[in-house]
Amino acid sequence: MNSTSEFVTSEFVTGNVSLADVLPQMILMPLIAFVSGLLMILMYRKIAARLQRRVGPPFFQPVYDIVKLYGKKTQISHGLIHDIGIVVAVGGYVAAVILLPIPGMDGIADKGGIITLSYVLMVPSLGLALGVGQCANPNGSIGISRALTAMLAYDIPFIIVVFGVATHYQSTSLVGMINYQQTHQWGIFEMPLLAAAGLFTLQGMMGKHPFEIYVAPAEIATGPMVEMSGKYMGGLFVMQSFQFYVASVLYASLFLGGGSNWFEFLLKIFFVVEIPIFISFLFPRYRTEDMVRIMWKWPVMIALIGIAFVM
Amino acid sequence: MSKLGNIPVNAQDGKKRTNPLAGVFDELVQFCQSRSMFMLHYCTGCGAIELPPAMTSRFDMERLGIQPMVTPRQADILLVTGYVSVKTLKRVILTYEQMQSPKYVIGICSCTVNGGMYWQSYATAKVLNEYLPVDVYIAGCMPRPEAVIEGMRRLMRNIEDGKGNAWKDYFQRYDYYLGNQQHLFGNDWQTPTDIIGEARHYGLESEETYGEHTKILEQHQQPLEPYKMRIKL
Repeated sequence: MNSTSEFVTSEFVTGNVSLADVLPQMILMPLIAFVSGLLMILMYRKIAARLQRRVGPPFFQPVYDIVKLYGKKTQISHGLIHDIGIVVAVGGYVAAVILLPIPGMDGIADKGGIITLSYVLMVPSLGLALGVGQCANPNGSIGISRALTAMLAYDIPFIIVVFGVATHYQSTSLVGMINYQQTHQWGIFEMPLLAAAGLFTLQGMMGKHPFEIYVAPAEIATGPMVEMSGKYMGGLFVMQSFQFYVASVLYASLFLGGGSNWFEFLLKIFFVVEIPIFISFLFPRYRTEDMVRIMWKWPVMIALIGIAFVM
Repeated sequence: MSKLGNIPVNAQDGKKRTNPLAGVFDELVQFCQSRSMFMLHYCTGCGAIELPPAMTSRFDMERLGIQPMVTPRQADILLVTGYVSVKTLKRVILTYEQMQSPKYVIGICSCTVNGGMYWQSYATAKVLNEYLPVDVYIAGCMPRPEAVIEGMRRLMRNIEDGKGNAWKDYFQRYDYYLGNQQHLFGNDWQTPTDIIGEARHYGLESEETYGEHTKILEQHQQPLEPYKMRIKL
């Protein structure tokens, strides 16, 4: 497209960043992500409660849960890989958070770019699969095989959307994309079809209804989490808060122009995460094979048409 | 019969606390433990019918931080909601031993207190706290959701005051509980969880952990072997 041709990426990619600048950001960014993620979990539970005409949990409930889980006196470990798997799952998201630019802090976003990010986003599921594999619980095995199939289902449209956006901006740098959107126009207005497909993918990525079959508490006893007790479960709660944050910030950076200040940024990411939450309490589940079918049909089709428009 | 709420805790924590903030930290953890309880409801009898209104929009337990969980590994509270037959009791004990400490047991309905209307039944275990350490009983046939929530709040207060220690009793007086279990299930009763080993590992053993009944257990105990993976062709 002509409008983006004057957009230059090289200044973002070759920017010289010293370690002393990046190191505090690498500590601060996961902390911000954790706190925002906890608030998102609270919002998730509050919205669920209000839709069901309940009062819902108190404000600090996610913190109580995590402190309680880490305060358990006895733990069941099923072996070394079980321990490492949880660390990999949380660590993958921490790495992803550092690659996502937020107002005032870019971390290593301009070094990594969106292709590294989409690789890193697969690490948590694989780490969880490693950990669950050693538990040798049949429910866990069923759950994780479903989770990996679900990942396969939403990753195809996700990659198409990401590459479509990168094609449109002629860049893989998230920092560059955000700067362009803030000076010109939000991505959602320039590529509405890709944004719609991205929203569809977001629902699968966050693992909520109607794509929640791999957790299925009543049928396979929370699937991958079935053998997780105490600190392991606490680690997964932390992972979930990161998951909410990463998915919403990624969407906001690609289509909603990131944030020029903190108020705008937080407003956007909480708004983004609100949409899948509302959808999730209105629908029952799809089976895994139906999820693959619907994910490979509709979002892929919409995203491919969207790519045809931006080419 | 063990006394409810008056359980002597005589095991000492192995390590000395040197951090001056340790007391504050312990209180914080206790507070969080009382405000976040995952509940595994083993719905045996009719009392389970009172739980849905207690959990859903009418009374809403989630505002107290109580939410249902589906596996014993994740749960903190074991709700036994009615009479326990001898067969059921085996499952309840298996479930209880898989839960991670600190763990709490709540007996709902008169049947768990004294057998209730199944007093004369040959197949019902009458007093639940002879087989498991029970934290709170909620009597009634059946207790209304208000009573259930009041019982939960009693448990929350106990935990906050540091009195919810019944789970330690199971490790410290394992011989007593095991004896009652053997009385019902026979001498070859064993569970996959190694309670004595856990008590030793976490420093929760006392002289009453061992006794004549644990000796019987050692004679009959078959070492657990990993389940062999087989592919059927």
